[in-house]
Amino acid sequence: MDAKPVISVEGLSVSYRQGAGFTRVVEDVTFAVAPGEVFGLVGESGCGKSTIALQMLGYRPPAMRTDAGAINFEDRNLLALDRSGLDRVRGARVAFVPQNPTTALNPGIRVGSQIDEILAAHGADAAAARVDRTLELFGLVGLPAKPEFLRRYPHQLSGGQQQRVCIAMALACDPAFVVLDEPTTGLDVTTQEQIVALLIDLRARLKMSMLYVTHDLGLLSQIADRVGVMYAGRMVEIAPTAELFTDPKHPYTRGLIGSIPRIEDRSGLPARPLRGLLQRHELPKGCPFAPRCDWATPECFEERQELEPAGPSREVACWRWHEIAVPADARAVSQAPEVDHPDRLLAIDKVTVTYGSGRGAFVAIRDISLDIGKGETFALVGESGSGKSTLARAVAGLIAPAEGTIALAGKPLAGLVRQRTPEERRLIQFVFQNPDASLNPRARIAKALARPLAFFFGHASEARVQAALADVRLDGKYAARFPDELSGGERQRVAIARGLVAEPSLLLCDEILSALDVSVQASILALLQRLKAERGVAMLFISHDLAVVRMLADRVCVLFRGDIMEIGRRDQVFSAPFHPYTHSLLEAVPAPLKPNAHKGGASNEAANAPSDKGCAYAGRCAWQIGEICTKERPPWRETDQGLRIRCHHSLDELTSLATWPNATDIDDGRAAQ
Amino acid sequence: MSVDTLSAPPGRTRSRWTSLPSLWRQTPLSFRIGLIVLVAHLLVAATGQFWAPYGFSQMGTGRPLSGMSWTHPFGVDQLGRDIFSRVVHGSHIVILLSLSGTLLGLIVGAVLGLLSGYVGGWIDEVLQRFLEALISIPFLVLALIAIAAAGPELAGNPVLIVLVVALVYAPRIARMARSVAVDIATRDHVTVARLRGESAWSVMRRELLPNATSVLLVEFALRAGYAPVLIGSLGFLGFGLRPPTPEWGLMISENRALIIVTPITVLGPGLALASLVVGLNLFTEGLARILGRTVKLGVQ
Repeated sequence: MDAKPVISVEGLSVSYRQGAGFTRVVEDVTFAVAPGEVFGLVGESGCGKSTIALQMLGYRPPAMRTDAGAINFEDRNLLALDRSGLDRVRGARVAFVPQNPTTALNPGIRVGSQIDEILAAHGADAAAARVDRTLELFGLVGLPAKPEFLRRYPHQLSGGQQQRVCIAMALACDPAFVVLDEPTTGLDVTTQEQIVALLIDLRARLKMSMLYVTHDLGLLSQIADRVGVMYAGRMVEIAPTAELFTDPKHPYTRGLIGSIPRIEDRSGLPARPLRGLLQRHELPKGCPFAPRCDWATPECFEERQELEPAGPSREVACWRWHEIAVPADARAVSQAPEVDHPDRLLAIDKVTVTYGSGRGAFVAIRDISLDIGKGETFALVGESGSGKSTLARAVAGLIAPAEGTIALAGKPLAGLVRQRTPEERRLIQFVFQNPDASLNPRARIAKALARPLAFFFGHASEARVQAALADVRLDGKYAARFPDELSGGERQRVAIARGLVAEPSLLLCDEILSALDVSVQASILALLQRLKAERGVAMLFISHDLAVVRMLADRVCVLFRGDIMEIGRRDQVFSAPFHPYTHSLLEAVPAPLKPNAHKGGASNEAANAPSDKGCAYAGRCAWQIGEICTKERPPWRETDQGLRIRCHHSLDELTSLATWPNATDIDDGRAAQ
Repeated sequence: MSVDTLSAPPGRTRSRWTSLPSLWRQTPLSFRIGLIVLVAHLLVAATGQFWAPYGFSQMGTGRPLSGMSWTHPFGVDQLGRDIFSRVVHGSHIVILLSLSGTLLGLIVGAVLGLLSGYVGGWIDEVLQRFLEALISIPFLVLALIAIAAAGPELAGNPVLIVLVVALVYAPRIARMARSVAVDIATRDHVTVARLRGESAWSVMRRELLPNATSVLLVEFALRAGYAPVLIGSLGFLGFGLRPPTPEWGLMISENRALIIVTPITVLGPGLALASLVVGLNLFTEGLARILGRTVKLGVQ
């Protein structure tokens, strides 16, 4: 960094009030962001990254206390500014893009007026000039720059459009520095890709400095120039992005990079997960990461290491960084054994599910037929709104199909759960996305596990509960705890255990990894793979994360707007020929150091309304042929290996159009180093 | 990252109730004052019969209408009964009737409301319209209708008073319970129970009730704070307990003609009633704040 930094954080320490005392959440953090630079801040939940982001806006919640340090921005210390001083800086010079646009926008105010508020607060422009500026901003972020659009309310916009409004709001006064706090976490893959492309584009055009806070390292590799890795409130490594991925120095960074499920990885093996969890109350005196570190020596526990230079523009806080030279990503590439022609367990035959009735009815899934074998892991993939959760809910009996039948082991199931027999209910178990909501907060873990045992088998013994906990690798002592005393990953393990104690033949897993941190995801993924091998339970695994699906699934079905686009064995789905939609999903997966294949900030969210005629994907399809796509239902095309694709293109054409995977070369090249 | 993830280290056991002095310091001031007043009332109610200077119907304890004195702090009524002793004797009646009436209303209201909110559909619709109709009738009018309907044989029976208090409160508590149930019923742990095939009663007992306790507790305390006023009003109007029961509202009614001669005979019972109501209300307000702070409702 030659130029004077835009903003610099020096020796920042922050505490939160906890009970009677204070808990240190950020400890002596120092870094600077150069003009035009995107600095990524990454770490697991609770590492203090969002706290730093808020401090850079001078935001101090009542329960937060700044113990030491300074944040220098334009010759001012943001931490020393009073309220009116902050009001002049915030929004105008430093701006913020929040994680969840749905709650960040005021639902009762039109989006145009919300941007107008910022402009009015920071400038004395005339009303007409402000409207022009708002239109200009909307054009900048890829929203329709039309006066009608300004008059829309937030709920009339999609999630991606809402986030674009938030970004426009942040850019309104040409700030010198923008803080983005997990801006794409709540969005699905294709929308996330568009927002990231927009940010990259804006950065190139406006030469803006940004702090990008996320837990997703893969994403940072695309947008950040430098990355700071945080652990337990301390900065453990700062490095230019490319170097961080090819040559991570700190053991924690290695673990994080090793935890990312790679879409190119065909091994089916889980990534090298980080051991254990961040346990704030039992941090050692020395390096906070020592208890989870493979290389820790006794002195690591005793003596604190400060950041020290480790090469040009690199800093790392580790005693042993120069000694440890094991490649971060040494995964064996082996073929996962395939299940051959398993007996059919679940048969879904021409199922259509609609919400509502009469003219306002919405068809969530249309005429779906598929079956799942015994012990098979079947993945449903698609963006939000594709109907994958609806299908799982229909299988579980939460919503009755309007047409078609669902049969378990040859016997047709009643539409609704209360019409099914106890045995049928026992054989299908559901694991939900959010473990916070799926466990009763007022029931101890033992009670949550004992209830299905007592309900289905008539008795629940202490030993059975202990065995259930052991099955998901949790200590027996957890039985006496309440859910809020467990971490997110532990709660999800309990939720899985609760499903398994009923001894089901089919486990419905609805996005069970997406609410968890990357490193926790990797360990749950390893658990699922083990359970799959040991218990022989079939899984309907719903996910938008293709990398995870590739590791776990035997067969994959790609859904779009309630229609099956492609269905087949995992390896066939992940290789040419692709359905155009599958191809776009694969392209959208952020992976470390994937070359950017994005095309500007063009918005393709405005797809055609689904109709009975034509292909559901027509209108968004990059390989569209023409009229035929919107007029006629595409035919099923089947390869010799049994992969079925629904498209007007012939299989040969689809093979020749495919450009994915384009990142494999880089990956192989790096592995060879 | 949120403060939550930091504040709940996995190894900690529930130690919230271990150190009482530090707990006491953390409570709001109104809670502390309310608690002290309530404890004083409860002590009087429990032990009053043993140390009250005179019996509640003992006549000729002093010169009738002699006003305040050290031997008769609340004066003496027309029949020569010591008002202070009557207030002390009446304490447990008022508290017992208020609490048991409110408790009955809470149980009925909570069960109705939680089930109605969970089951939904036309049952919910019909029940809610019915409860709204009941709520639209003013407190006292509804109570008087109920007493009139019960007939003269039951008039003045303490059980009837308890039932009337419950009848007045149950619809209001049911509406509150229903709104909580509607919120909790959408959570995944309830869906899990539904998928298991649990009955509505079992879902209510295991999944809804434990999560609604904080709201219901506050609701109970709030209603209990007003119950003495309702019972007192009934007594004052002559529809409550029968003389010579030393019920405070009844006493105020009996002595209201004497307000010019010896105002203390009315003020005494009134003061007791007011302090109980104020104490209960301060306590519940504090309780609501404590529970609101520690219990997450809805999606955090």
